[in-house]
Amino acid sequence: MINSNEIIDDIANKEYEFGFSTDIEMDMAPPGLNEDIIRFISAKKNEPEWLLEWRLKGFAAFKKMEFPKWQHFEMPELDLQALSYYAAPKQKKQLNSLDEVDPELLATFEKLGIPLNEQKALTGVAVDAVFDSVSVATTFKGKLKEMGVIFCSFGEAVQEHPELVKKYLGSVVPHTDNIFAALNAAVFSDGSFVYIPKGVRCPMELSTYFRINAQNTGQFERTLIIADDNSYVSYLEGCTAPMRDENQLHAAVVELVAMEQAEIKYSTVQNWYPGDKDGKGGIYNFVTKRGICKGTSSKISWTQVETGSAITWKYPSVILQGDYAEGEFYSVAVVRNKQIADTGTKIHHIGKGTKSRIISKGISAGRGDNSYRGLVSVGPRAENARNFTQCDSLLIGNQCGSHTFPYIESRNKTAMIEHEATTSKIGEDQIFYLNQRGIDSEKAVALIVNGYVKEVLNQLPMEFAVEAQKLLSITLEGSVG
Amino acid sequence: MILPFYQALTEDVQALSAQVSAPAATALHDIRRKALERFTAIGLPSLKTEAWRYTNIQRYLKEFPYELLTTATPVSAAVAESKAIPELDCYRVVLVNGHLQADQSVLPEGKGITIGAMSAHTTAPGFAHFNQQPHLAGESLAQLNTALFADGLYIELAANTVLDKPIHIIHVYSATAHAFIQPRHLWVLNRSAAATIIESSVHPETATVAFANSVLETVVMENAELWHYNVQQGEESFREVHTTAAQQYKDSRYHHFNFTLPNTPFTRNNLSVALNGSHTETNLNGLYIANKHQHVDNHTFMDHIMPDCNSNELYKGVLLDDANGVFTGKILVHQEAQKTNAFQQNNNLLLGSKADINSQPQLEIYADDVKCSHGFTAGQFSEESMFYLRSRGIGEDAAKALMVNAFSHDITDAIKVPALQHHLQEQIAEIMNN
Repeated sequence: MINSNEIIDDIANKEYEFGFSTDIEMDMAPPGLNEDIIRFISAKKNEPEWLLEWRLKGFAAFKKMEFPKWQHFEMPELDLQALSYYAAPKQKKQLNSLDEVDPELLATFEKLGIPLNEQKALTGVAVDAVFDSVSVATTFKGKLKEMGVIFCSFGEAVQEHPELVKKYLGSVVPHTDNIFAALNAAVFSDGSFVYIPKGVRCPMELSTYFRINAQNTGQFERTLIIADDNSYVSYLEGCTAPMRDENQLHAAVVELVAMEQAEIKYSTVQNWYPGDKDGKGGIYNFVTKRGICKGTSSKISWTQVETGSAITWKYPSVILQGDYAEGEFYSVAVVRNKQIADTGTKIHHIGKGTKSRIISKGISAGRGDNSYRGLVSVGPRAENARNFTQCDSLLIGNQCGSHTFPYIESRNKTAMIEHEATTSKIGEDQIFYLNQRGIDSEKAVALIVNGYVKEVLNQLPMEFAVEAQKLLSITLEGSVG
Repeated sequence: MILPFYQALTEDVQALSAQVSAPAATALHDIRRKALERFTAIGLPSLKTEAWRYTNIQRYLKEFPYELLTTATPVSAAVAESKAIPELDCYRVVLVNGHLQADQSVLPEGKGITIGAMSAHTTAPGFAHFNQQPHLAGESLAQLNTALFADGLYIELAANTVLDKPIHIIHVYSATAHAFIQPRHLWVLNRSAAATIIESSVHPETATVAFANSVLETVVMENAELWHYNVQQGEESFREVHTTAAQQYKDSRYHHFNFTLPNTPFTRNNLSVALNGSHTETNLNGLYIANKHQHVDNHTFMDHIMPDCNSNELYKGVLLDDANGVFTGKILVHQEAQKTNAFQQNNNLLLGSKADINSQPQLEIYADDVKCSHGFTAGQFSEESMFYLRSRGIGEDAAKALMVNAFSHDITDAIKVPALQHHLQEQIAEIMNN
C-alpha cells in the first residue's frame, strides 16, 4: 500500500492536465494602454459614441487608482503597458452553421469535452463559445429567440439592443468600482449578454466557454445578465486555458440584474492554467462579479468551483435591494503547488426580510494559500434579515495555509446572523476507518474530499456537477482519478 | 501644559521629543525614543487602519485640548472605596494616574513578592520583560504609551510563590483639566507562581474628560497560572484604550476576563496573547453590555507560535439603546504550531433600536494538524422563549433581565472569585432593570 505521505506529495505536486494551445492567426492590437488603443478597440467593434465615452471615463478612473494592498498575498508585478488589449480570430464574417467554424478551433473544444456539433442533440445546452474575445459560434439562437430571450455576444448586443445595454451597463459594477473594473470598462473586448423577458423561464442552461489563448493578451470580458419580472435563467461559465509560461491577466466583470420575482443562477467552473509546481506562469484571475436583486422576492445564486489560476481573487457579491430578496453563494476553492485563492462574497442586506446563505469550502494542498474573505452587512431598513454563513477549510500537507477573514456588520436589531468557520485536516482515524473496510488510502482521500464538497457541487446544474467532480478528482486526487 | 493634543501628536513631534528626552539618564531613554519614532511613523489610527476600521478614535481625541498628564493629583480615599467589591477579601492597590498611593493601599507582603511602582523597579530582574511582547510594536498607541508613560504598577512573583488572596487594583484617573493619561504596568509570574488579579477604574470628576491610554504587559512563565479580571464600569466623562499584552511560556495557564459595563462612551480593548511555549492553556472571556451612545471595541489576537497549545475565546455582548459593538478576534497558527486547538466564539444580542455590531472573527492558519474554529451570531431574544416566560406571569422587562442573565451566564459562571461573581451578577441585573 502506498503510504499517505506519498499520496499527499503526489497530490501536491501534480501538474496541469489540460495544457495545450491552438495555432490560429490572431488579429492583434499593438501592446500598450492608452486612449488611442481604447478608440481603436471601440472603432474595431463599431461602437456608438456613448460607449466610447463610457470607456474613456473608465480609463480616466483607472488612471487615478492604485493597486490595492489589503489582499492576503503578494501582488505580482503587472506591466499593463506590455499587454495587448485586442485580439480576435481573423475570420470576421458572420457564420451560419458550425461547419464554417475553423476546424482547428473545433478540435480544441473537442479536447475540452464540449463537442459543439454534438451539443444540440446531446445536451440541449446552448453554447456561446467565446474564443479569445470574439464570439465565433452561437447555437440555439432560434429557439431562444422564439421566447424572446436575448443571448448573444456583448458586441452584438451593443449593435442590436443598445437601449438595454445603455440602461444596465455599469449599473451594478460602475466604472469607478475598483482598479480592475475600471480597466475592464476601458478596454473590455467582448463577453456575453443575456436578457430574459418578463414571465419567461429560460428553457435551457445558457453556457459560455471562455478560453484564453493568445499569448500576452489579457482577457477583459464583460457579461451582463438581466432577468426581467418573474423570469428565470441558469447561466454556466467554464474555463480551461492552455499551458503558458507567461502570466496572463484576466480581469472580467460580470453584472447580474434580477427584477421582481426573477431568479438568476450563475455557475462557474474555473480551471485555468495554475502555473507549474514552482508557481511559474499561470493566470491571474482578478474578476469583479456582482448581482443586484432589484425587485421584491428576487433571487441571485452564485456557485463556483475554483481549481485553476495562479491567483484567484474575486468576491461574487449580491446586493439585496428588493424586499424579501434572496442571495446565495456556494464555493469550492482548491489550491495546490503555489496557487493562491483569495475569494469569498459580499452580501448587502438592504430590503426587509432579505435572506442569504454562504457555504464556502476551501481545500489547501502543497504550498497553496487559500483565504475566505467575506462581508455580510445588514442595513437599518433590513427588518428580519437572515444570514447563515459556513466556511470550512481542509488542509492537506503542512506547508499550506488556510485563512478566514469575515466581516459582519449588523445595523438592525431584528436581523439574525450566524457565522461559523472550521479548519481541520483529513483525520488519520477517518482514513484508518476506510482502510479497514478495504478502501486504499488514495481512494479514501478522494472519498472524503468528495463528501466534503458535496454540499456545493449539488448546487451545480447536472452537466456541470459531473465536470466539476471530474475536475476535482484530477486536480486533487493525483493518480487516483 | 495644555496643548491641542491631536495636532501636537501629528504635527509637533519636536515638543514631544523634548519631553521624552528629559529623563535622559535612565536606561529607558533609548526605548522611549525608538517608541516615539515608531509612533510618528505609524501615526494615530484612522478608519483606514485595518485594525481600527470600525472605531474612529480621532473623534474622541481631537475635540478639545488635552493635558498630557504625568503626575498624580491628591484624591480622597472615598474615591477608590467607591469601586470596592463587597465582601471581597483581598489586597488593595490604589493608583492615581498610574502612580501608586501607598497610604490607600494594602499590599501583599512576604518572600518572593515584589510589588510597587514601575519607576522604582527598573532594575528588578523581571523588568527584562519590559516592552518585549511582540505585538506591541504594531500598535501606535502602545508605542505612544511606551514613549510617554510616567508610572504604573510592577508586580513580580518569584518561582513557586502563590498569592493567598486576590489583588484588587483600583485605577483612579483624576485631573482638573481634560487629561490624557498613560499608565504602564508590568506583571511577571515566574515558574509555578500563581495569582488572581482584579482591576477596576474610576474617574471622579464629571466636568473634565480623562482619556486613559494604558498598557499592561503580563508574563506567565513555566507552569505559572494567572487569573486576570478587568472590570470596566466607568463614568460618562471617561474614555479608554486598554492594551493588554500577555506572553505565556511552557505549561502555563492564563485566564483573562473582561467586563465592559455601561456609561463610558468609548472603550477599546487590545488584548493579545503570544504563546512562547507549548502545552499552554489560554481562556479569554469577555462580556460587554453597552447603552446610550457607548462604543465598545474588543480587539483580540491569539498568537499560536508553539505546538500543543489550547485556547478558548468567548466574547458575549448585549447592545442596548444606540450602542455600537465591535469585535475582532484573530487566531494565528504558525507553521510550527501543530496540534493546536483554538476556538473562538462571539455572540451578540442587539436590543436597542439603533444598536449595531461589527465583527471580524479571523483565522489565519499555516499548520495542518490543528483544530480551529470560530463562530459568530447576532440576533435578539427568541419569541418562543419570551412567550414561555410571559405565559408564566413574568413581565416583559423581568423576562428580558432573566434572559440577559442567562445569556451572560457562560461568562459569569466561569469567574472563580465568588464575591466578584456575585457583584457582577448583581450589576448586570441592575443594568437590565433600569
